[in-house]
Amino acid sequence: MTSYVVRRLVGAVPLLLGVATLLFFILHLAPGDPTVALFGPNASASVIEQTRRNFGLDQPLHIQYVRWLGALLTGDFGISFEQGRPVADIIRGALPNTLILTGTALILMFVIGIAIGTVQAVRQYSATDNVLSVIALFFYSMPSFWLALMMMLVFSLKASQWGWPIAFPPTGITGVEYDFFSVGGKIVDRIMHMVLPVTTLTLALAAGVARYTRGQMLEIVRQDYIRTARAKGLPEKTVIARHALRNSLIPIITLIGLYLPFLFSGTVFVEAIFAWPGMGRVIYDGILQRDYPVVMATSFVFAALTILGSLAADVLYAVADPRIRYERS
Amino acid sequence: MATVRESASRVPALALFAIIAACGGGPDRETGGIIVVGMRNDFGAFNPIVNGDLYTGEMINYALFTPLIRYDADLNVAPHLAESWEEQGDSAIIFRLRRDVNWHDGERVTAHDVAFTFERAKAPESASLIGDAFINDVASVEIIDSFTVRFVYERPHAQALEDFWWAPAPRHLLEDVPAAELRNAPFNRQPTGSGPYRLVEWRARERVVLERNEDHAASLGGPPAVQRIVFRVVPEASTMLTELVTGGVHVDVPVLPEQVERIEAEPSLRLFAYPGRTVYYVGWNNARPPFDDARVRRGLALAIDRQQIIDALLAGQGSPANGPLPPWHPLYPSQVAPLEHSPAEADRLLAEAGWIDRDKDGVRENLAGEPLRFLLLAADDALRRSVVEILESQFRRIGARAEIRVTEFQTMLQQHRSRDFDAVFTNWVLDNFRASAAPFALFHSSQAAEPGSANRSAVKIPALDRLIEQGGASTDPGQQREIWAEFTAVLQREQPVTFMFWLNELAGIRSEIEGVEMDPRGELLTIRQWTLSRGTAARAALSGTALTESR
Repeated sequence: MTSYVVRRLVGAVPLLLGVATLLFFILHLAPGDPTVALFGPNASASVIEQTRRNFGLDQPLHIQYVRWLGALLTGDFGISFEQGRPVADIIRGALPNTLILTGTALILMFVIGIAIGTVQAVRQYSATDNVLSVIALFFYSMPSFWLALMMMLVFSLKASQWGWPIAFPPTGITGVEYDFFSVGGKIVDRIMHMVLPVTTLTLALAAGVARYTRGQMLEIVRQDYIRTARAKGLPEKTVIARHALRNSLIPIITLIGLYLPFLFSGTVFVEAIFAWPGMGRVIYDGILQRDYPVVMATSFVFAALTILGSLAADVLYAVADPRIRYERS
Repeated sequence: MATVRESASRVPALALFAIIAACGGGPDRETGGIIVVGMRNDFGAFNPIVNGDLYTGEMINYALFTPLIRYDADLNVAPHLAESWEEQGDSAIIFRLRRDVNWHDGERVTAHDVAFTFERAKAPESASLIGDAFINDVASVEIIDSFTVRFVYERPHAQALEDFWWAPAPRHLLEDVPAAELRNAPFNRQPTGSGPYRLVEWRARERVVLERNEDHAASLGGPPAVQRIVFRVVPEASTMLTELVTGGVHVDVPVLPEQVERIEAEPSLRLFAYPGRTVYYVGWNNARPPFDDARVRRGLALAIDRQQIIDALLAGQGSPANGPLPPWHPLYPSQVAPLEHSPAEADRLLAEAGWIDRDKDGVRENLAGEPLRFLLLAADDALRRSVVEILESQFRRIGARAEIRVTEFQTMLQQHRSRDFDAVFTNWVLDNFRASAAPFALFHSSQAAEPGSANRSAVKIPALDRLIEQGGASTDPGQQREIWAEFTAVLQREQPVTFMFWLNELAGIRSEIEGVEMDPRGELLTIRQWTLSRGTAARAALSGTALTESR
């Protein structure tokens, strides 16, 4: 197993470099100029030219590429044009915010999705199954930006206007008075701010997981060994939880790897709407302002996380299914 | 079995709600008053020398630092860090600084800081906008004593006192930073300023927290009333409005024209509409036929019904423009009316230039049979997209076909800057109040072939050149007024670009905030005087948004 993981990690290096190189050239060849975002229209050509020189943008593209690659190999992501500070600092500030959002969403989405899917499969064609199917399909088909705005409209704007006991803050990661809260207050404040964005991210993908789980479970409960388990008198709960669910989980694990890129791209929208200061915002603003070092570094990090995610899924296979082995025979 | 499981799962949920209810979302200590300002984008660099962003510039001038001069409501220059000055003819000026203004670390603000900032801004490697837009006619600086500084002019020029609307940066913290590195100085993100507020925290794309400067000079009004001002970044306009309505944000600038109705309907909100510094215009590529012919440019300009656009798209929040000087500017030539909408005159001019609908297909052709067709470029935002659509239909009515091309901002700008376009609908923002700045940048022929210059329409009109030079060199306000009136008249005749309208700035402000004034000088103009009225400062419905006192 260890050698398999090492092999996969080593194999990921050229892949990452390839992705980064491709990105470098696509980004630099796209029309636009990083210096434009820094000045109003009034800046004279000489100021803009000087700024380009200070950024090293006056060099030929291949020189810029070699410099960038050399710096990357020593772990240096460069300095953001827009913020004038190391990109590594920017990522250090934004990545935890995104990971807490996506991490929570990832866990919730599988817990809720698997639970709902299992209930549906166990009670196939019952009223519960049908109602849950319709709800799941609804959330699965709704675009996430619409869902985000609706959540905000109902649970934040209307909730406060109608005097509901709890209205969630529409944006931000903490309230403006965060510094003045006690420790408990700070935790509650953070949770309150997470509710809407996490729910938005979770709902659509959880609905997908529920559909998969239901399908898998229905397949499994028709297997002979399930009939055997029932025949030998095991309680239904044990049959479902231990024999059916565990076996139907294996393909679901694949979804973790598959959903990661969705989750990351989903955060770009969700972070923009809920003003969540994470990686999605960094990458989005970076692209608009042609902040090359920032876009390169953030894409690199997302690519690395996606590769790691699919590796983690493959490893989890082996954990869930003793028949899967990665050692060379 | 099932019931047991359900009730078990309810317990943590109930406990959570109990905690939330107990905490009530309120602060545990006295906050002393927090005003929250919402904004779309994060700030740039809090360093007067290298900042290039207008809103960051306001923060520098009004909250964090202390410029040498300020503008009063009539745009007359008034003392600020400089308590007085003495003009030595048209060739030099001596400023006497206040002696009670300190940097936020306790050091005194002196003439050394002023001279240091001037010299850094003057160094080409700094790529400084102060150097580019303000002090280009100032040759040198001389420190007379710690609180007296003398500047020598390169040449006599108009509005010379206004060269000094910038704030000095602290020499003792920045003198070791090489000019080319100033943009990346750590100082820019944790500045030590001299203004009424000091910066205590900046979390990128999230918030900037200012705290009142208890040590703020008494001669500049002393410490402000409000303890904290928090600037929050909320990129989405509709989300921001939700925050404003629910009290999560007290001040929202800019508000979109389509949000005006919502704000006016809300009793807890006030709408601020004030004349702005942004003018929209149609740029014609003067180097490219058919726009190398003034009759064609003027003909198309006469086809435009500005008032229709202002009423339909700006909710009336705009005024027709006659040139690059705004109606509120002291030198505004009010005697030159903005161009009228006159299809008949447009028809006459286009026919005179040889553009006649010869084959009766609704499009004019010239003698060679080429149709009057051109690409109309615009960046992709809601206002610009709608305006170019109306322009297209107005041009169509007089037999000209504009093909609309709406692209992402940077792509549009690339084409505009490299003069690879026929016509473009775009805007210009004034970053200072010097009358000659925009005319020179936009229209002087010396800039017409310069790569990347602002004269993107390749304008080369000798009469304009002469007036721009005279206007910039004149030191007599009466004469300046005449020159700019004549300049505007030539502009109307030649239409090198067609000025459309000045856009009003719109802000939504919660009614518990007092002391807010906004005008062309900026949104943060009176930030030192902003207060939170305690009477109406009832806790907002949302957690974490309570306004003043704790429980």
